[in-house]
Amino acid sequence: MSTAMTFGTKSFTPRPPDKGAFPLDHFGECKGFKEKFMKCLRENSFENALCRQESKEYLECRMERQLMAKEPLEKLGFKDLIDEKSEAEHNKL
Amino acid sequence: MGLCGRGWAGVLRAAGSGPRLLCLWARGAGGGAPPRSPGELGRYSQRGPSCAPRRQAWPGPPQARGVSRPGPFARGQEQERRRRNKTVLTYVVAAAVGMVGMSYAAVPLYRLYCQATGLGGSAVAGHGSDQIETMEPVKDRIIKVTFNADVHASLHWNFRPQQTEIYVVPGETALAFYKAKNSTDKPVIGISTYNVVPFEAGQYFNKIQCFCFEEQRLNPQEEVDMPVFFFIDPEFAEDPRMAKVDLITLSYTFFEAKGGHKLPLPGYQK
Repeated sequence: MSTAMTFGTKSFTPRPPDKGAFPLDHFGECKGFKEKFMKCLRENSFENALCRQESKEYLECRMERQLMAKEPLEKLGFKDLIDEKSEAEHNKL
Repeated sequence: MGLCGRGWAGVLRAAGSGPRLLCLWARGAGGGAPPRSPGELGRYSQRGPSCAPRRQAWPGPPQARGVSRPGPFARGQEQERRRRNKTVLTYVVAAAVGMVGMSYAAVPLYRLYCQATGLGGSAVAGHGSDQIETMEPVKDRIIKVTFNADVHASLHWNFRPQQTEIYVVPGETALAFYKAKNSTDKPVIGISTYNVVPFEAGQYFNKIQCFCFEEQRLNPQEEVDMPVFFFIDPEFAEDPRMAKVDLITLSYTFFEAKGGHKLPLPGYQK
């Protein structure tokens, strides 16, 4: 297995995830949210930016059912969604 | 100066030192002043602390410049020098041994340091959770992430991604799903690892949470969704080597976990 590329090329080293592994959702408790997210993706030709609200809801579902460590959503990169929500509520009031 | 006159001048000049000063010292200080140099002391050691003409006691002009007569002071100097040399040698040897010892000690010490600070061997510019909070999506760089799923031949699971691709931008967190079904009639424990192609982009691919590197147990005929929550580091957009990279492929492979067999995690964490 020694080709011209074997020496000096950077090989890939897998890194463990930052927050560990997701516990498995054996009972499908968050399956509904997942289906909503997948539907949104399919409708928007798999653009992640348009389906972030659904992914946020899926993660919130997981957190509620002890399938994920509870964390403030800003730390998961949803700061813009939360700001929008708080703005909307502010305007409503 | 009078006493240090003609009689002495010849000898002292031949010796090549400062004759007047030496005489002054000898006469004035009475032996209490420090010698000009060790050599001098050696040469004039036979004389008393006075310039009185005791020529017969004078050992005569030195034969060569560098030879030091073995008087008591000279011997003391010699011993002093030897002792100094030995001390220096001891220090140097101790330093060398210390260096060798440190290079052996570095391995466990670094491991401890990594465990304490959680770097885990990844010296990439920090992608901690505070970075996720503050990072801004780079909206003009759209990257297509495709998903691939593999299983080891001995693992009879039906493992596949639930979306073929997803379009993300660096700095934006994204969620993706895989699905796994245990098609056997026995509970099976699997463990997975992942790969990112191209390799250089792999260092920018940060997984916040996934299902890899931990044993996952599936009951008979059970099917679960396995999410991967990841983001691409915003620094990806600034790396000139990544300028042409538009496609990243994330590939997961599941293996069967042998009971009781603990796999080493990559890096030094845990």
